[in-house]
Amino acid sequence: MMPSMNSSDRPARPSPADDASALETLGRSSGPASLILSSLADGTKHGYALTKDIESFAGVRLAPGTLYEALSRLEAHGMIEAVESSDRRRPYRLTATGATALSTYLQAQRQVAEVGLRRLAGSWALT
Amino acid sequence: MTTTGRAAPGGRTDVAEAAGAPGGSNAAESARVRRLLLWYPRGWRDRYGDEFAELLAAEQAEQGPSWRRGVNVAATGLRARLAGAGLAGHPLHPAAAARAGLATFASCAAASGLVGAVMWAQLAIGLQWSVPDDHRITQAMDLMSGALLVLAVLTVLAAVPVAWAAMAAVGRGGGRQIRWPAMLAGAGTLVLVVGGRHFANGWPGTGGHLLVHQGVVPGGIAAFGWAATMWITSYWGHPGMLAAFPAAQLAWMVASPVATGCLVTGAVQLLRRVELSPRALRFHTWVACVAWAGLAVFLGGALCWLLTSGGSAPLFRAGLIDRTGLAVLAVAAVTGAAAVRRARLARLAESLSQ
Repeated sequence: MMPSMNSSDRPARPSPADDASALETLGRSSGPASLILSSLADGTKHGYALTKDIESFAGVRLAPGTLYEALSRLEAHGMIEAVESSDRRRPYRLTATGATALSTYLQAQRQVAEVGLRRLAGSWALT
Repeated sequence: MTTTGRAAPGGRTDVAEAAGAPGGSNAAESARVRRLLLWYPRGWRDRYGDEFAELLAAEQAEQGPSWRRGVNVAATGLRARLAGAGLAGHPLHPAAAARAGLATFASCAAASGLVGAVMWAQLAIGLQWSVPDDHRITQAMDLMSGALLVLAVLTVLAAVPVAWAAMAAVGRGGGRQIRWPAMLAGAGTLVLVVGGRHFANGWPGTGGHLLVHQGVVPGGIAAFGWAATMWITSYWGHPGMLAAFPAAQLAWMVASPVATGCLVTGAVQLLRRVELSPRALRFHTWVACVAWAGLAVFLGGALCWLLTSGGSAPLFRAGLIDRTGLAVLAVAAVTGAAAVRRARLARLAESLSQ
């Protein structure tokens, strides 16, 4: 189920100037960051829920230090924000900036994947 | 959909509960989690400590203890510390990155100033008593003296805006955060100045060639430098000889490193905590760049002395302390360069975002 989103929350259409480098600026955390943003795209989650969700859809289990290193950087860049909670396990949600960055990043990845698959199909008969 | 979390396996997610459990493995696990958290700097623990502890406890409950997890936490914790010190690219608070970089550079400059003063003061004593066979030693001394002079002037220039901002913060009724660092730095300075001036009277360079053949060597400053760094000596390896020292001098050799530590710690903390205006931050970054150049010149002079001192008279021969000092200078120069670079980048990024 997709989360409801106001038009103001909806990620802006990435312009050519909006290159896919928003996540790349996170350095070594850009990989985990894309997984975290993808996980948060369907709703808020805390650290442990993020770990399990990412493991289920990506087959990767992020180590706790790696997860929180990426979380802290994403929060510092305004791509996610913490949700008020009485629980010690603080949930996080995606921001409009984070949604835009994820959208741009995934579109770039999709373009690479499509080119790669097309060439594999042409030269190696693999799909 | 809002998923505020699934319960951790084993139904136990609260580290505090685990810590409160009497004896048993829960208490041991909780202690392990708390130890792992210590890899991170305090600011990071204040922000993420509780939730991170919950995650670690859940991971431990599900998968048991793991050395891989420990290594991962240690590595990311150390990176968070480096970032907090302005030596890595992703600090917790980007706005504070420039100040953190400058504070780290100040620490490097302080370490360099300390070992530099030791080397310079020793060479100054030799030059007071004798003329070196190799003129390159005098040239090295001139380089070191000039660099130290530049560093001293820059230290004063950098201290003025910080002191001004600190006084302004106190004047506004705030400044609780800077009270202790200011007191620490003030007490350290007072002890060093009073003690240094007193013990400078015992400077072994007195009575030699007065400022002849010795390049830029002001005797009074050399005497003060010698007294302030008297505790960095090989006498600690010879307790019998050390025992023959007057009690007051021994007390000074214990008190002066403490005072130096107070001064450096207080000054660095002050730099980290005082809110500097963008203009002051720009000025400090410029000062740090020039100071790094001065540090490099001093390192060059010291290296020149060490390379040429082998065949010289004993008064000019570099010892183990000087070689160690050169290594400290080199490490400080490399670390300082990284810190200044990060400070410049952070300041540029901040000015672009405004």
